[in-house]
Amino acid sequence: MASSIVYVQKLGRMRYLPTWEYQKIIAERVQKNVKCGKDPQHTLLLVEHQPVYTTGIREYEYSAEVETRLKATGADFHRTNRGGLITFHGPGQLIAYPIVHLKSFTSGIKWYVCALEQTIMHTLESLGVVGAHRSPHTGVWVGENKLCAIGIQGRHVTTHGLALNCNVDLQWYDHIVPCGLVDKGTTSISKELSRDVTVDEVEPYFLKSFSEIFQCQLIMIDKKIDEG
Amino acid sequence: MARLLLHGVGSLLPRLSASHHLYTVTLLPHTLHRHFTYAATLLAERKYTEKHEWVAVEDNIGTIGITNYAQESLGDIVYAQLPEVDAEYEQMEECGALESVKAASELYSPVSGKVTAVNTAVEDQPSLINQSCYDEGWLFKLELTVPAEIDELMDEDAYKKFLKESEQ
Repeated sequence: MASSIVYVQKLGRMRYLPTWEYQKIIAERVQKNVKCGKDPQHTLLLVEHQPVYTTGIREYEYSAEVETRLKATGADFHRTNRGGLITFHGPGQLIAYPIVHLKSFTSGIKWYVCALEQTIMHTLESLGVVGAHRSPHTGVWVGENKLCAIGIQGRHVTTHGLALNCNVDLQWYDHIVPCGLVDKGTTSISKELSRDVTVDEVEPYFLKSFSEIFQCQLIMIDKKIDEG
Repeated sequence: MARLLLHGVGSLLPRLSASHHLYTVTLLPHTLHRHFTYAATLLAERKYTEKHEWVAVEDNIGTIGITNYAQESLGDIVYAQLPEVDAEYEQMEECGALESVKAASELYSPVSGKVTAVNTAVEDQPSLINQSCYDEGWLFKLELTVPAEIDELMDEDAYKKFLKESEQ
C-alpha cells in the first residue's frame, strides 16, 4: 500500500442535504481523476450536522408516518443510498465522509469498514476511553452501547462514512431504533469520560489515527461550500 | 461432484454454449436411471467487466451476476436491491445495489439492454450471492440491445489476468 495523499476539508456545521450533494460532486471528480490516470485527490470531509435522521437503502422499513413523526422532533429526515439502517446525526457528533478511490488503499469494502473501525478504536484509546470494541454489527461500541456508527456507499469510490458521538444529546436516539438493533443503546465520549468532550477536542486525534491506519498524508484545504 | 466437474469443464470449453436447454446427465443407466439436470447457463461462456460483474448470453438474453472476487470482497450480503423488470440500461449504468457490512455497493449493467427477469430467490435470501455467485446467486437477466458490446468484455482468461495485475 503506497502512501497516498488525502485532502481534508472542514465544512463546519451544515444541514445534511448540501453535504450529500457535495459528496457526490467530489466522488465524481475522484472517479474522473482515476480514469485519466491522475492523482485521485482522495478527500476527507469533516462536518457537524444540524439534527437529521437518515435511512440507508432499506428505506422501505420506514413509513411515511415514521417520517412525519421524526420530522415533528424538529430534525430533518432523508432516505439515502448508504448501507445500514436508520440513524441520527446532530451537533456534538464528529462526522467524517472519506471520498476515496478504494483500490488505492485496499482490495475491498470489507477491509475499508474494518479500517474505519480501527481508526475510531485508536482515536478512543488516545482519548482514554476504556472498553471500546468492534462488533459483528459493525461500528464501535462500549459494552452494549454504540459510540460510532458507520454507513458507506460505493465499492469503487466511497461516499458517506462515520458518525462519532462526542457530546451529542443522546435523547435524539430515543425516537428511533438505531441501526435496527433492539436492546442496544447509544453512548458518547463525554458520557464515557464523565466530562464534556467537544468535536474540536476529538478531531486532531481522529485525523492522526486516520493517517496512520490508511497510511496516508493529510493535507488540510480551506474551502467553504455554499449552504444550499 | 458431477456439478463441480461441469463448472470446471465449462471454463475449458468456452465455445460450448450451443443450447439453453437443460442438460441431462445419466448415471448408472444399467440400474437406476438416476437423472441429474443442470441449467445450461453453466456452460454458456461468461464474460467479465473490470467492475467484477459477469454476463452469460444465450439467445440474446444476458444473465448477470457478480464474480467470486466481488462477493469475497463485499463480505456477507444482507440485502439485494435489484433493477425493475422492463427497466432499460446503458452499458455500465448503475442499476442496483448490494448491501454488506453497512456498505451499499453499486451494481452496474455489463451490457446495454432491457431487464426481462430478476432473481427473486436472492431478494429473499441474499446470502445465495455469497454461496453461489455463478449459479443460484445470479441477479437479473436482460435482453441485449447492443449485442456487439459482449465482444468487448473480458473472457475468463483475460479476467484472471486482470485480477492478478490489479493485485500488484
